[in-house]
Amino acid sequence: MSHSILSALSEDLLVRVYGFLDPPCRKTWRLVSREFHRVDSLSRTSIRILRVEFLPALLFKHPNLSSLDLSVCPKLDDDVVLRIALDGAVSTSRLKSLNLSRATAVRARGLETLARLCRALERVDVSHCWAFGDREAAALSVAAGLRELKMDKCLSLSDVGLARIVVGCSKLNKISLKWCMEISDLGIDLLCKKCKDLKSLDVSYLKITNESVRSIALLPKLEVLEMVSCPLIDDAGLQYLENGSPSLKEIDVTRCDRVSSSSLISIVKGHPDLQHLKASHCISEISLSFLHNIKALKHLKTLWIDGARVSDSSLLTLSGSCRALTELGVSRCVGVTDIGMMGLARNCSNLKALNLACCGFVTDAAISAVAQSCLNLESLQLESCHLITEKGLQSLGCYSKRLQELDLTDCDGVNDRGLEYISKCSNLLRLKLGLCANISDKGIFHIGSKCSKLLELDLYRCAGFGDDGLAAISRGCKSLNRLILSYCGELTDTGAEKIRQLEHLTHLELRGIKNITGTGLAAIARGCKKLAYLDLKQCENIDDSGFWALAYFSRNLRQINLCNCSVSDTALCMLMSNLSRVQDVDLVHLNRVTVEGFEFALRACCNRLKKLKLLAPLRFLLSSELLEVLHARGCRIRWD
Amino acid sequence: MEPEDDLCQNNWGGSSSSSSSKRREQVCFTSQHKWEDASILDYEMGMEEEPAFQENSNNNNGGQVNVDFLQGVRAQAWDPRTMLSNLSFMEEKIHELQDLVHLMVARNGQLQGRQEQLVAQQQQLITTDLTSIIIQLISTAGSLLPSVKHHNMSTAPGPFTGSALFPYPREANNLASQTLNNNNNNTCEFDLPKPIVVEEEHEMKDEDDVEEGENLLPGSYEILQLEKEEILAPHTHFCTICGKGFKRDANLRMHMRGHGDEYKTPAALAKPNKEAVPGSEPMLIKRYSCPFPGCKRNKDHKKFQPLKTILCVKNHYKRTHCDKSFTRSRCHTKKFSVIADLKTHEKHCGKNKWLCSCGTTFSRKDKLFGHIALFQGHTPAIPLEETKPSAQKGSSACENSNNNNTGMVGFNLGSATNAIEEVAQPGFMDGKIRFEDSFSPLSFDTCNFGGFHEFPRPMFDDSESSFQMLISSACGFSPRNGGESVSNTSL
Repeated sequence: MSHSILSALSEDLLVRVYGFLDPPCRKTWRLVSREFHRVDSLSRTSIRILRVEFLPALLFKHPNLSSLDLSVCPKLDDDVVLRIALDGAVSTSRLKSLNLSRATAVRARGLETLARLCRALERVDVSHCWAFGDREAAALSVAAGLRELKMDKCLSLSDVGLARIVVGCSKLNKISLKWCMEISDLGIDLLCKKCKDLKSLDVSYLKITNESVRSIALLPKLEVLEMVSCPLIDDAGLQYLENGSPSLKEIDVTRCDRVSSSSLISIVKGHPDLQHLKASHCISEISLSFLHNIKALKHLKTLWIDGARVSDSSLLTLSGSCRALTELGVSRCVGVTDIGMMGLARNCSNLKALNLACCGFVTDAAISAVAQSCLNLESLQLESCHLITEKGLQSLGCYSKRLQELDLTDCDGVNDRGLEYISKCSNLLRLKLGLCANISDKGIFHIGSKCSKLLELDLYRCAGFGDDGLAAISRGCKSLNRLILSYCGELTDTGAEKIRQLEHLTHLELRGIKNITGTGLAAIARGCKKLAYLDLKQCENIDDSGFWALAYFSRNLRQINLCNCSVSDTALCMLMSNLSRVQDVDLVHLNRVTVEGFEFALRACCNRLKKLKLLAPLRFLLSSELLEVLHARGCRIRWD
Repeated sequence: MEPEDDLCQNNWGGSSSSSSSKRREQVCFTSQHKWEDASILDYEMGMEEEPAFQENSNNNNGGQVNVDFLQGVRAQAWDPRTMLSNLSFMEEKIHELQDLVHLMVARNGQLQGRQEQLVAQQQQLITTDLTSIIIQLISTAGSLLPSVKHHNMSTAPGPFTGSALFPYPREANNLASQTLNNNNNNTCEFDLPKPIVVEEEHEMKDEDDVEEGENLLPGSYEILQLEKEEILAPHTHFCTICGKGFKRDANLRMHMRGHGDEYKTPAALAKPNKEAVPGSEPMLIKRYSCPFPGCKRNKDHKKFQPLKTILCVKNHYKRTHCDKSFTRSRCHTKKFSVIADLKTHEKHCGKNKWLCSCGTTFSRKDKLFGHIALFQGHTPAIPLEETKPSAQKGSSACENSNNNNTGMVGFNLGSATNAIEEVAQPGFMDGKIRFEDSFSPLSFDTCNFGGFHEFPRPMFDDSESSFQMLISSACGFSPRNGGESVSNTSL
């Protein structure tokens, strides 16, 4: 019967229906019928490849892809790319976005092939490819239509490589050079001269000087400028921005040590339309003149002044004029008290995000005021606000129905009753309760039963709760994908048995839980198939049976920490050879593993490892061929 | 006053056959058009072409106006003695020019109807000569400027009172052209400031040319000229007793001490020319001329620029007029006539490591980046990578591992080994994809694959091989069905 109804739907109708589905449903959609599967194949525009073996087949099946994510694809290297290039059946000409983040084994040859294959390429992400250097940049510069390029932490990239890209891809309008430590003023200068369309530029953590800012100020269309922690830039440099970059909307000078409020004033003067001003940890005090100038910014939405000395009156003045403010960061600000916060809450009712971390004088009164006035509040960070008690949380539970993110790490005043109030915020997605020692199973039970949308839960060192609480979480928060249970000493195998119900779990930290044994780990491995990150450091009582199960079931594991585990030679070898997607491994202090065990285990996985932590003496005990192969495959080894 | 009149007549007699002062005046006023044209031109751009003198061979506007101007100056009470030497020098120059033109006139009769080119050449020659004379005139007149100012104020109405008002030629020029547009009818006003503009233009240019950066007035120094043999001689100082030659005078004096006690006195050891200086009048500055005829450094050259010291003469002569006998032992591309140049080159040779795609090399990175910023399409070239054994081993290793990788079978079209062989010969790809030179087949073939065959192969096997048996047998899990792991692939 259903077959006939479905067959009545024409293909274009199916495509339209498909368009309204969200990704998990699309997965189910595929399985309905051959026709549905075809619609899915044809209308799919983005794909994230987990295994390189399926890459050509998937590319062939989905001809209309515009976005390809290879960032979690181990074993991707030049040869794979070349083979795809040789295989004429694969159509990549529509591909616009390519994510090669952490694909360290793809070098110049592969990149050039990719750049030539994907003619319509507009966005490329090669962040964290530490081997990405000038040669690779030259290869990438073949993609002349490139508009967005992310090159964070391309440690080997120098000015020469940047120049190649700048000359080759002159249409760039967004580029991120965060942590490209070799880039100097010369490179930035050339970038600003050649890419006049640049709208967004990230030069965070670079050793660039005021000269670069002078060049940047000449960019006519620049809207977003991020220069977090540029230690050589001072006020004289920022002065250039006063009359430059007329369309600047957002500037981030967080942790620029030599920048003071005087240069920020000049920027503000020159750009009355500034929307986002992020100046955390760079100004020591909110002066009157600074306030006076900030007042003129009628469109200011984001203001970060973390770490500055703020008085109540200045908060009042500020909130009185910048009523459009939606995001305020005053963490670690000395002088933030209830009076200031109440004034702020009264004036800025549109506030969506508020960071009050380490503002020790803030009490329940301020939180209540914020909760009552700012009904749109989505994110509230209250880390180390020790004076906050259940009263404050009560008003949060009553009024802040849109709250999505709440950070209560290290708040001593949080207890079970407080959690009960919080649980009324039913839209909560992320909840951090680390170091809250007064929480017991009762409080956790409330969270588990009401916060069903929770995606992330941090219970780091919450020693007061046990297996029952975890059972409640596992029952209630089915969509949880990130769970931190490190040092929750009460947990045992029974609790671990419950975790297996969390099918969407991808990130699990079980550090230092002594009571979990092989049985518990086996249960987790069997249940949480999507697990990609697992921290088992100091879980000393897990025996080989647990690791065998892990090796057998957790096929998606990408990152694993096995420090101080009692894993044996055989179990380690099995883990390393069977976990075909593992990329980042910590193998420090494995007392039962011999040098041969390490050697075999690493040989088994050396073609996919990206990051490895080992005890320093092993450097001389492991075979040099192994280390060479690891290095050649782009694996970084940290010797502990 | 006679020399001046004479000078002017010579000048104009030289440049044009009719040299009546009447005509001069006429030209002066009718030349208004020309000046207007010149002022429209941007002087920065026009520098090289010297627009004011482009048509000098016909009517010499600039020069004439200048002369008029100077005549007016000299009509005032002025003691001419200080300039006499300069003027006589100029007179000599003008005579030379006159001779040249005479010669041309004579030749013109013979070569009537010959190539235009020759005519143009002659014109150019005269133009340059005249220019240099005018420059000298102006520089001579430079000292008169204060009085010029005074004179102008009294005689010429209008905003322009001499160059003192306009320290920058451009400014003056702009201002002049502005006013020119404003009051087009009033022509008389403008013939005074204009020449000054031109004059300053030339002074700037000259300073650029002169290497020494000095601008000595011609005639204010003594010109010495060494002969070719003298310049090229390895030794210039000879012992009168034994005949041994020395490069330096000081060395000779040191040597002389060996010939007897009389050469050891402080007087004998002192620098000889220092004795002459005290007491006597300040000596005329010595400058040197190159013996090579036609050289710019030769005193007979029109734009003569003297050399400062004997060492300059030697280096100049060797560099410009001698064979380059010192060759570079390593790169063989460069030759030098002065050994010091070779040594300097050797010091920097190979340091030009900043290479542009156009082939130009730079010793400094900022110079390269300046070059790239300037030219469209130029990029820095990345030097060919020195072959890294480890990287090649790595690629061969992964090929080995792929070779027996069961998981990859579905992915290789055709047999796995074939595909790998194809990849191992990038030349195969050349039709479609061009690779950097360093990845040429050559470098690929030469890399050592052998080392990796010693590597225990099974250890490179992927998951679905060796330990699988172990698992299913060791801990009684049910045999895995392939779908489980596959289902997540396209999340």
